Amino acid sequence: MKRINGSGTLWRNRWGDRGGYMVEEAKKTFYEEYEVFSKRTSTTPMQYQFSLLAPNDDMALMMAQENFMRREPVADIWVVKRSNIRKVTVEERDMLQRLDNKDYRTAKGYGYLKKKWRHYEQQMIDEKEILSWGGDQRNDGK
Amino acid sequence: MSVLEKGLSEEEQLSKFMAKIEAGEKIEADDWMPEDYRTALIKLISMHGISEIMGALPEKEWVPKAPSLKRKLGIMAKVQDEMGHGQMLLRVTEDLLKPYGKTREDLMQDLFKGDLKFHNVFHMATKSWADAGMVGWLVDGAAIITQTNMLNASYGPYARALKRICSEEVFHAQHGEAIIMALTEGTVEQKLMIQECLNRWWDSLLMFFGPASKQTTGSSKQDITMKYRIRTKTNEELRQIFFTKYIPRILSLGLTIPDETIHFDQEKQEWIYQQPDWNEFKEIIKGNGPKSQERLDLRRTSYETNKWVRDALAK
Amino acid sequence: MTENDPINQDYQKAVIELLYQLADDDFIHAFRGSEWLGLAPHIEEDVAFSSISQDTMGHTAMFYRLLEELGEGSADHLAQGRSSIERKNCVLVELVNGPGNYMEKPRYDWAFAVVRNYFYTQAKAIKIQSLKNSSYKPLSDAAVKVKMELYFHLLHWKTWFTQLMTSTDEARKRMEEATERVFAELDGVFSQGSYRVKIVDFGLIEDETILRKLWIQELSPIFQSINLTMPESFGMKHGNGRDGEHTGDLEQAIQTLSEVYRLNPAAAW
Repeated sequence: MKRINGSGTLWRNRWGDRGGYMVEEAKKTFYEEYEVFSKRTSTTPMQYQFSLLAPNDDMALMMAQENFMRREPVADIWVVKRSNIRKVTVEERDMLQRLDNKDYRTAKGYGYLKKKWRHYEQQMIDEKEILSWGGDQRNDGK
Repeated sequence: MSVLEKGLSEEEQLSKFMAKIEAGEKIEADDWMPEDYRTALIKLISMHGISEIMGALPEKEWVPKAPSLKRKLGIMAKVQDEMGHGQMLLRVTEDLLKPYGKTREDLMQDLFKGDLKFHNVFHMATKSWADAGMVGWLVDGAAIITQTNMLNASYGPYARALKRICSEEVFHAQHGEAIIMALTEGTVEQKLMIQECLNRWWDSLLMFFGPASKQTTGSSKQDITMKYRIRTKTNEELRQIFFTKYIPRILSLGLTIPDETIHFDQEKQEWIYQQPDWNEFKEIIKGNGPKSQERLDLRRTSYETNKWVRDALAK
Repeated sequence: MTENDPINQDYQKAVIELLYQLADDDFIHAFRGSEWLGLAPHIEEDVAFSSISQDTMGHTAMFYRLLEELGEGSADHLAQGRSSIERKNCVLVELVNGPGNYMEKPRYDWAFAVVRNYFYTQAKAIKIQSLKNSSYKPLSDAAVKVKMELYFHLLHWKTWFTQLMTSTDEARKRMEEATERVFAELDGVFSQGSYRVKIVDFGLIEDETILRKLWIQELSPIFQSINLTMPESFGMKHGNGRDGEHTGDLEQAIQTLSEVYRLNPAAAW
């Protein structure tokens, strides 16, 4: 495989230890790689299952459930051709690091408000309180 | 094949790698890894995977013959799982083979050429319905012991596949036990059938764990797999666990172990037993077992007969 | 109606006859599927196919149990202890998977597997749909359950059928040959045998001509989309299995599937 600098189709990193832009040699085979995702119930998030080989999308879908979810309920399935996934390359993994100085972005950085609300004889509205509003409790004015 | 991280020498990469696995972190398919780690994994997991695929065949002999509707369903599901385990393990291998440009097709061809070996137990003949139970109970029992030994393997994709596999093995063991108990609690003929079966399988079960050291057969990959934290226990330690777990259960069902010398030595804290013929083991692994060539032929015939299907959809 | 009421007896006979047809069809079909285990063209497909065979064997067990409840004997005996002349399955499901044996040189024909499975499953789906309104409540209850699993079976085989039909010339040729072979026995799948009139009059299921028409309606657009002609008529080349006419392939199948059971039918296995 040849490396092209700057332009060309994005080379979907085949085994990830090289980054950069390359031209993929697209020769389709019976053994195309698919990643399989599924949802257990309608309320649970998509979860990664495993990968399989199949000649095309429809076949991959026909095989996915029985290969990886034979013994569990399934509410939905995604099959994704691996070459369509833009993964973080090993070199790019450095971009995932960040400093631990982002309190301003979390509730942790505003903890002092609790004390201040107490001063105003009110309770702070925290995460627990907010998430409890989702229920169907009645507003009794208190 | 491995590409160095910017500015790091091979030695620095290696020490980073070792520090990572020693800290219990997982290596992923895309990560840098030493060449001998990759080759050891490929050897181990390809053999494990293809053994599942080949291992489906001896049990499969009894799938169409299973003696009740319930057993027909159970054994179909069980053999299906073996194929499914093979699928996952071959996928893990295929990703490791990427740098060499090899695919599943190459793995199958390696198998047919005799370059890719499969477990000794799957070279053996099956003779009666009891074999279907024996494979599920003791062969899978032995497999569970070797596989759980690698559940914390440093290679993440293998560890994750094993986790899925081991949870299904629980069903396999129970499927096997159900068949075995029906026979040991059955007619005189059924009891004889299961005892004869155990007699035939005993040596193969001992061999399943591999030789105690490379002195026994001239080669062993246990050293490198332990160094790289792929496994933690030696072949002999695993065999001893197998004895401890299964000998009392075998005896409790009224079966006799075909080794008069076997006993637990309290002082040494280990089982003393008659060694199987390790030369025979070497021959079996080489493809000279009782059913080696027939099973390969079965796999080859079906693979080649269906080639047109794969060709048809490869576009 | 009482036990001895002649109408009741007639009704029961018709129910039993239909149940044997349904049970034996699925049983032998699932048996042929189980022979494929480990030998499919692709590992992932092997796993998927096996689930379908298991589902079908599960449906079989439901039908045999309904017979058991009607005093016909144990489900295991009905599945394994009856000779080929007692069997009511259609000939299509009994035909071997291809040359060779699952233990030796299995040159199984995937084209035949795909076409047989697709056409059979479509016919089964139509029957099950009709059975949902069966006058025999236990059977209509069973039909509701069976129907749930047929959607996947059908979609799976339809995918294989259409893809192979529209791929290479070689595949097309093999698929067309397989289609001809399946059509030559397809009438047997719909046949209700010599009990047909009673089965239909008692409202157990719709008449075979209606079922056949629905099948053609269902498959015609698929055929059109892949440029395949629906034949004017189907066949029953090797006889009508509903009336006990079978091939040597069924005899071989029964020998195999009952080999262990026959060692001692009274024993627990």
